[in-house]
Amino acid sequence: MNKLALLGVLGLALAGCSSPPTPDVERIACAAGSVSGQGSSAQTNVVHAWIMDYQISCADSAISYESVGSGAGVQAFAGGAGDFAGTDAFLSAGDQKKVDARCDGPAVHLPLVVSPVALAYNVAGAEILNLSPAVAAKIFSGAITVWNDPTIVADNKGVALPATRIRPIHRSDNSGTTANFTKFLSTSPEWSFGSGSTWPVKGGAEERGSHRVAAAIARTDGAIGYIEASFARAADLPAAWLGDPSRGFSGPSDYATGRALENASIDEDLRIAMNPSAEGYPLVAVTYEVVCATGTSAAARSFLAYAAGTSGQQTAVSAGYVPLPEALRARVAQVVAGLR
Amino acid sequence: METPARLRLWTGLVIALAATLMVSLALVMSQVREQVRVIGEEAAPRGVVAADLYFALSDLDAQATRVLLAGDADENAGSRIDALGRYRERGRQVDADLRDLTATDSGVVVELMDGLAVYRQLVGQAQIASDRGYYTQATNVLHQRLLPAAERLLDQSEEDLDRAYEAKQQTESTAAALLVLVGGALVVLLLAQQVWLARRFRRLLNPALLAATGIVMLLIGAATVVLDAQQDRMAAARVEAVAPYLKLSRLRAVSYDAAADTSRYVVSGNLAYYRDDFVAKSACLAGEAVCDFSSATGLASLAGPEAFARWQAYERGHARIVALADQGRTAEAIGALTGIKRGDATFDFAYYDAAVAAVTWRQERDFDAALRSAQTTLTGWVVLPLTGLALVVALALSGVRRRLAEYR
Repeated sequence: MNKLALLGVLGLALAGCSSPPTPDVERIACAAGSVSGQGSSAQTNVVHAWIMDYQISCADSAISYESVGSGAGVQAFAGGAGDFAGTDAFLSAGDQKKVDARCDGPAVHLPLVVSPVALAYNVAGAEILNLSPAVAAKIFSGAITVWNDPTIVADNKGVALPATRIRPIHRSDNSGTTANFTKFLSTSPEWSFGSGSTWPVKGGAEERGSHRVAAAIARTDGAIGYIEASFARAADLPAAWLGDPSRGFSGPSDYATGRALENASIDEDLRIAMNPSAEGYPLVAVTYEVVCATGTSAAARSFLAYAAGTSGQQTAVSAGYVPLPEALRARVAQVVAGLR
Repeated sequence: METPARLRLWTGLVIALAATLMVSLALVMSQVREQVRVIGEEAAPRGVVAADLYFALSDLDAQATRVLLAGDADENAGSRIDALGRYRERGRQVDADLRDLTATDSGVVVELMDGLAVYRQLVGQAQIASDRGYYTQATNVLHQRLLPAAERLLDQSEEDLDRAYEAKQQTESTAAALLVLVGGALVVLLLAQQVWLARRFRRLLNPALLAATGIVMLLIGAATVVLDAQQDRMAAARVEAVAPYLKLSRLRAVSYDAAADTSRYVVSGNLAYYRDDFVAKSACLAGEAVCDFSSATGLASLAGPEAFARWQAYERGHARIVALADQGRTAEAIGALTGIKRGDATFDFAYYDAAVAAVTWRQERDFDAALRSAQTTLTGWVVLPLTGLALVVALALSGVRRRLAEYR
């Protein structure tokens, strides 16, 4: 075993820890005090991982996050609860007015959590499955019912797809994941059901929560469903590549998601609008933290600065999310640094 | 004997002794260097891999328990996905460690791979089945087959490391004897020749022979210093880094297994066995009882008082969870197990583990630095004695050339 291998082994031993921060990671600029937040459940895992890391590094801190859903989280924040709110979507003008009133000034959005939404499937022989928005729309609207339908085969030349019945599975509960997916489907003229956090098509199999959708796909031959990519990875489910034959297809990898974010339009308020026809994986959920521009405690600013830092984004990767592209991360970090 | 013949004899003896010393020194130094490499790049890493395997197996079962504990409940979906991810990660870690150990320990590795296949099958069945029989069987396979086998690998690797150090020590003793006996004889010979030349040719000093004597003494001194320096560094690496690292790795694995007992107690419906097992492992971690694998050396001495204090905080959380479970408040017990507030089991354990990880990280860094330093110290010690030999030969010949010329 050579020296390099020894370092590798030692590195492996380090990697074997249950994600404790090692002394060589970026130092956290700690601030003492309590911080609380509430909102989006889609970001719960990464926020919990951040809380663990931050509390381990900062002995005088106590951070909490209640996973109550985006709407409830924002309303609670507007009512004066917590130091920040997590939301799956940029606030509406009405909500923005409410949170500005609570803050006695503007509240800002911090896009901190990025997660591709995977179209996980369970189809015999399909190691890679290419789907265009139009074909995905036909599948989830019930217009296509078998996996070897010519419209699917056209995007998957060389793949022997079976004559198995397609069993689409959707969320039965309100969810940001459904909102992101239906928004993606709405980019195709084949989808006439609109977008929103409630599944709009009648019939079909449904499950409450991403973990149950993942379990249902895993046990159902011919199933396909939309779940956060971290759930697909944990259940070892393959995820479809999205795109079209002219510009190619991409899977929900860190790289393809990063490319899609680089091609997204981002306004000066850090509102992110994905561009489905650009290069990269187009089905991406971005979660924002809403926080007061002034009057935010030093502890909350410190915690958010850690989350927007390279260490925080690395922790996000360990938790199954995708790191912010560096240019965007730097912009978010700059906004956090400007909080008072 | 005629003077020219004596001159040739003196010179021949000096060259022969110098060649014996320098070639032997080069060989011995080369062997020491190879032995340092074996320790640093084979024996110690093998110990690290064996310790990592033991740890990864312990945590594999802890994560499997967390998956079952989280169940299908919505509020535990995050905990379940996290545990599933870590379970897979630990599985990959175990596989990688087994692959690295295959070349040296193929018999035990095959035994472990077989047991691991059974364990994974049982864990899979436990996740689907509603009763806990498969889980009990799985955790039994882990504790009765896999961990003991991994422990044998760890014991074997520690013995091999001890043997590698002993072999190096023997070579160092040989080198020291060589320097004292042959080196001393060569210096005495050179000095005697100097005296004889001074008397025979009525000259005060022979500069070439003086230079040769200086070079020999310098090489002997430098070789002694180098051998001592690398010996000190490698011995310190053993005592201060490798040995405590391996011991602490075992304790760390015990703590993961003990923490899993908290979950096992709740998953099993308050089976007293797991509560008692936690108490026994806690005593081992506190250094109050002899552990299965070694004499009683607790966390406080191996990882420091801060790490031990954090473990004690986890123990208090464990006691609270057991009390909640005993009162039938299972949901609250699960909440305290999976929560990440200070005082909740998940956070307190991670907080403790971070303190241990910081210590093992320093030990790894110290060992690596000591190894690098020892290797750097030995650099050039194959070429240096041979260069010294060439110089001594040249100077010995040069020192007598003009005296011999007087007789032509």
